[in-house]
Amino acid sequence: MKASPIQQALIHLFFVLAACACLFPFLLLFMASLTDQNVIVRDGYSLLPSKFSLEAYTYLLNDSSTLVRSYGITILVTIIGTAAGLAISSLIAYPLSRKDMPLRGVLSFIVFFTLLFNGGLVPTYLLYTEVFHLKNTLLALIVPGLLTNGFFILLIRTFFSTSIPVPVIESAFIDGASEFKIFYRIVLPLSLPIMATIGLMLMIAYWNDWYNGLIYVTDTKLFSLQNVLNRMLSDIQFLQTNSFGSNQSETTANIPLDTIRMAMAAIGIIPIMIAYPFFQKYFVKGLTIGAVKG
Amino acid sequence: MKNAKRVTLTVLVLMLTWVLAACGDNSGSNNGGAANNGGGEDKGDPTELTMAFISFGNMPDLELVQNEMNKITTAKINATVKLMPISISAWTQQMNLLMAGSEQLDLIVTSTLMNYSSQVAKGQLLPMNDLLEQYGEGIKSVLSPEILNATKIDGEVYGIPSTRDMAADYGVVIRKDLIDKYKVDVTQIKTFADLEPVLKLIKDGEPGVAPLVQQNQTQTVTEVMVGADYDVLGDKFGVLEDAGQGELKVVNYFESAKYKEALAVVRRWFEAGYIMKDISTSQETGPSLVKAGKAAGYVANMKPGFEVQESRNSGREMVGIRLTEPMTSTTNITSFMLSIAKNTIDENKAMQLLDLLYSDADLMNLLTNGIEGKHYVKQDDGLIAKPEGVTDTGYMLNQWEVGNNFLGHVWAGEDPQIWDKMKAFNEASIKSKALGFTFNADSVKTEIAAVTNVLNQYRVGLETGTLDPEKNLTDFNAKLKAAGLTKIIEEKQKQLDEWAKSN
Repeated sequence: MKASPIQQALIHLFFVLAACACLFPFLLLFMASLTDQNVIVRDGYSLLPSKFSLEAYTYLLNDSSTLVRSYGITILVTIIGTAAGLAISSLIAYPLSRKDMPLRGVLSFIVFFTLLFNGGLVPTYLLYTEVFHLKNTLLALIVPGLLTNGFFILLIRTFFSTSIPVPVIESAFIDGASEFKIFYRIVLPLSLPIMATIGLMLMIAYWNDWYNGLIYVTDTKLFSLQNVLNRMLSDIQFLQTNSFGSNQSETTANIPLDTIRMAMAAIGIIPIMIAYPFFQKYFVKGLTIGAVKG
Repeated sequence: MKNAKRVTLTVLVLMLTWVLAACGDNSGSNNGGAANNGGGEDKGDPTELTMAFISFGNMPDLELVQNEMNKITTAKINATVKLMPISISAWTQQMNLLMAGSEQLDLIVTSTLMNYSSQVAKGQLLPMNDLLEQYGEGIKSVLSPEILNATKIDGEVYGIPSTRDMAADYGVVIRKDLIDKYKVDVTQIKTFADLEPVLKLIKDGEPGVAPLVQQNQTQTVTEVMVGADYDVLGDKFGVLEDAGQGELKVVNYFESAKYKEALAVVRRWFEAGYIMKDISTSQETGPSLVKAGKAAGYVANMKPGFEVQESRNSGREMVGIRLTEPMTSTTNITSFMLSIAKNTIDENKAMQLLDLLYSDADLMNLLTNGIEGKHYVKQDDGLIAKPEGVTDTGYMLNQWEVGNNFLGHVWAGEDPQIWDKMKAFNEASIKSKALGFTFNADSVKTEIAAVTNVLNQYRVGLETGTLDPEKNLTDFNAKLKAAGLTKIIEEKQKQLDEWAKSN
């Protein structure tokens, strides 16, 4: 049944409006980051500010060595974390998807268990800092994210067991392929959608992560982008609401707080927005396949 | 089968290497301090002490300053200091975690605004009475027993307050150009009531400019008006009237007479348009509203040098009008202290270092202002300024956090006599009778949380005049009581009575 032109037009109109509604906040955010601080305080946010200013970006770039460094750290952590996360998750998920795997039920349960319960903040902190000595290392930003993704493992497992026909694996085995070869020559290529999905989720999680940085890192050289932005913001906020006279209040007094907030969001969000379209076609497919048939 | 085994083995080996590598990574950096533990009287290698403090912004030159400081500390007490700046955004979290573990931590900044009493209750801070007796000459010569008493919990000192403004007087700051334009004689303004005609002048003469706002949401107009009338005993749940000069009877702040009066005045001002209309929802600070030309002035709790500071913050020359006497309650003193953490490697050395921060001007200047010639230069008049042409010096510490600030150089632009004025201000202030009492809220935590929710619902609305007190104050109090305010007040009274007996 084909929709009449009017129906078609209405449907289009609806989605155009919906898309605009999603875009509008970003546009406003971006414009606000370009507005003069005093204009915002006086007139509020607007799409067409009466006075433009690049002050917020100038302030952020003033400290550019920190910002560039933290960008580097975030990119490095995101790449390593995503790659390692994908490798580890799929390597756990694959055996769990095989019906001939011994102790499959127990292992699945253990993975599932971590979804529901964890050790709590202080024991986790003590384990990472005093047993593994990860405090103030780059690994502290990567490892905690790797080991707490039972959800991803279950998603991948479900994908493997529902979308990879067992006969394909059996025939490969008969042809003399090793388990490892089966995994990376046959199973992985067939699982691109789920890999891209999990990859994107991991990537976003690593990109946005500031919690590990907050807990395990006090060395500013190792701060990720989110940590730097978070710290800058709370520093300025604290100093402006608790003014204590001395040399620093002069510096902080002239910081355009509102526009900086917006500029920070813009700086943090742009790379992910650029990366997203490349993953999108896999994203929808992988998510539905992995989740619905669970 | 063979393959599977090989894979398992590879994985195992990989995991082991990783664990070992991780362990190996850090052990190197830990050795330095621990090895010297207890090593004889001031001989041998200096002890390395860690000092954690709240940092704002980057300090790229931290190590340079630290090295300079170590020259002094090694010579004087055979110890070195490792500065450990922790950002305010991570502070509470980091402190909880660091204290839960066994990482070395010697001196830390503590505050009653940040769990001081519960840190003491958990045994995370070391008692300092004996140490103070033994090594605290410098500290005792600067801080009067009265002030040290204010930090005591169960008779023991657990933190040494930094010297700064230990009292607050309350009033308003208003743009100087407007004061001049309307020829206001500020010396004639003695009370908040005298302020009303001035607000009216500004309201009528300056359309688009709100005559009065507040410094920020925590310091509402009402709160500043009655600021010097109460000792709020830490939080506002149960307070002492008459600035703590009368008997030690804890009462409900939100039902007391002065509070009610102030609410009525503020409501009248709000309705007359003297207070900015969207004040209860605006997140902008007073200075930024003044800077943007949207407000003429704001209420504030003040201290000597406040006008200079606020003129800088709001980018316009401001006139300060003080409307109350300075008053001191426990929180004024205990809002920033240095304590010795339970994870210290040598509490004696830690105490000696702490004492140096109160007696050694060179050390204190290094810590607060950085290295002379690099981070600041001395002018002919004895004041200091940033070196010419430098905007970001690479070292910036919030001096009010630690040590004896009165030893520090004064920055150009400030009042050269600022420290003397500050001292006089502290001495002249009205001291609450409950000075030294710190409420331990652990036993009424649930009630505090419930009451705080009610408070957040009503406080800003009422105290800015946005809500009509006629109708809402009764509701507010009924809800506070339903949430457990009475229980908190009783608990506070009980603790206060016990405290009064032992003091």
